[in-house]
Amino acid sequence: MSAQPVERTSTPVLELRDLAVHFGGVRAVDGVSMKLMPGLIYGIIGPNGSGKSTLLGAITRLTRMTRGELLFDGASYAHVPPSRLARLRVARTFQMVRLLPDLNVRANIQIGADSRTTSDDRTGSRPSWFERLRGPAVSPAVVDAIRRTRLGGFESYYPSELSYGTQRRVEVARALAMDPRLLLLDEPTAGMNQSERAEISGLLRDLRDEGLTQLLVEHDVQMMMDTCDYVFAMNSGQLIAEGEPGEVVRNPAVQEAYLGRKWGRDA
Amino acid sequence: MMDFYDSNLVLIQATCTGLILALSIQVPLRMGVFSFAGAGSYGIGAYLAAILVIEQEVSAFVAIGAAMLATAVIGLLLGLLIFKLNGLYLAMATVAFDLIIGVITINGGETTGGSTGLYGVITDFTMGQMFALTVIVLALVALSEVGRTGRRVDAVRDDPELALSMGISLRRYRLTAFVVSGALGGLAGAMNVLVRSAIGPLDIGFGLIVLGLTMIIVGGSRSWKGAVIGAIIFTWLPDILTAIGEWQELVYGIIVALAAVFLPRGIYGVLVDLNKWLRRRRRERRDPPPAVAAEQAGDIDPKPGDVREFALNEETVP
Ligand SMILES: Nc1ncnc2c1ncn2[C@@H]1O[C@H](COP(=O)(O)OP(=O)(O)OP(=O)(O)O)[C@@H](O)[C@H]1O
Ligand SMILES: [Mg+2]
Repeated sequence: MSAQPVERTSTPVLELRDLAVHFGGVRAVDGVSMKLMPGLIYGIIGPNGSGKSTLLGAITRLTRMTRGELLFDGASYAHVPPSRLARLRVARTFQMVRLLPDLNVRANIQIGADSRTTSDDRTGSRPSWFERLRGPAVSPAVVDAIRRTRLGGFESYYPSELSYGTQRRVEVARALAMDPRLLLLDEPTAGMNQSERAEISGLLRDLRDEGLTQLLVEHDVQMMMDTCDYVFAMNSGQLIAEGEPGEVVRNPAVQEAYLGRKWGRDA
Repeated sequence: MMDFYDSNLVLIQATCTGLILALSIQVPLRMGVFSFAGAGSYGIGAYLAAILVIEQEVSAFVAIGAAMLATAVIGLLLGLLIFKLNGLYLAMATVAFDLIIGVITINGGETTGGSTGLYGVITDFTMGQMFALTVIVLALVALSEVGRTGRRVDAVRDDPELALSMGISLRRYRLTAFVVSGALGGLAGAMNVLVRSAIGPLDIGFGLIVLGLTMIIVGGSRSWKGAVIGAIIFTWLPDILTAIGEWQELVYGIIVALAAVFLPRGIYGVLVDLNKWLRRRRRERRDPPPAVAAEQAGDIDPKPGDVREFALNEETVP
């Protein structure tokens, strides 16, 4: 595992320039710049409230940004409406599990694949209005996502019937069913046990080996060291360190950000 | 059978128009749009069809088509105006729209017949045609509840932000809700005036909102089947209740209140839950859930995203 490869040949999949999100006086994200090169797993660590989720919100255009520039494949998308991002094949999971209660596991995952069956699919013939209305019964992407997240057997379960860890896997499967080029994961293994975490970590690395670029927010440092190629550390909305995972974790500023916070809380 | 049909013709007709009125409120509601504009569209559709028949002597289908087209366009314009409003504010705006339509019909002079309304709306519209239209509408609405569209409508209602991240344009779905609601309201109103041959301001008041809403709250707000159940109950119940005379309104009110409190998803919702429960029981008896055992064996992370985790894990840093 080496440090971030300098942009030799390819443009970054995602680039942020001086991105800021302010909520009134709260500077949740305050001048973050980063480049994500294709086919690597990037991690973001940082104490609670350091702005990690807000950053993902801004990248996915769900949260209004105060200033800065967003580029996907080198093209600005800072003014593209959030619903268009699925077409760029940007997929995400949320920190709080967000499954639709009235749909079973298969249908919840199918929603991800639905975003790929729109009319702008250049492959094959244009679907009829009826096909577009109904969509396919089960897309291959869904079958694949279910297999990869080991959800086989759960297809007809409803979210309320699943454990928290399994619900999280459905979230990941739904994002995978979008056949993403960039996958953003907000604490995908929170609430999972060690073996489930290892499984997810393995899955993310497999996806990376297939060329999927990922940005992973996690608190579990061991998992981040095992999974990521490159890590950013945030505190109070700003990047305080970046580099190879082991290096970043040993960085005094990073340790202080976490420990200072902890003591401040206990005091 | 024929006797029943003949003696209850009016109620059968009212069931069809009531059902479509209920759908005109249910369809937007299913997309999370609290619009009661369907009631106003009902008024527009009824008056427009009546005027076209009386003054232009158009056929029933032309009158219905024109009414639906007009109410769909008005629905779109109304939608463009207010679709960004949320919840209660949007509901209030659509109620205001309904009331304005009422005011216009009373003050429309000879065109709308003032407080007496319009009568003598005679066409060749038959019961068979009415049934056919109702069935077509039901089929189309049913289609919107399944497959890709059904899933997307669920997402738009239950989690708009998630819907956006799944590539769903909220704007498009919400505007569609207004258009469909308008067309359905217009259809219900036009059909009603064609079978009843008269329409007046009293037929299109606030009562329409209450009627449509009652049907879907008691019947079930998430499916056309709920609207059917509600339309049947609340078209036939008042007729049955006339037997108990002055207590009628009280019993009616109690039924609605009980349903709202105890059946939040209506009668159809109860059937759905029952079905889910039965399926789960059957499944659990056949084979236990695949990974529950494994999950129970492992240690579940106590609290997602706890800072202390970092400090504890520090020893693992090489
Ligand atoms: N919608 C909002 N309005 C106002 N303040 C917000 C909003 N969303 C987040 N914040 C604030 O922005 C800051 C960053 O929050 P954010 O959720 O991005 O942190 P985080 O790094 O994801 O934390 P955690 O590890 O707890 O998930 C916090 O101070 C939070 O209170
Ligand atoms: Mg967060």
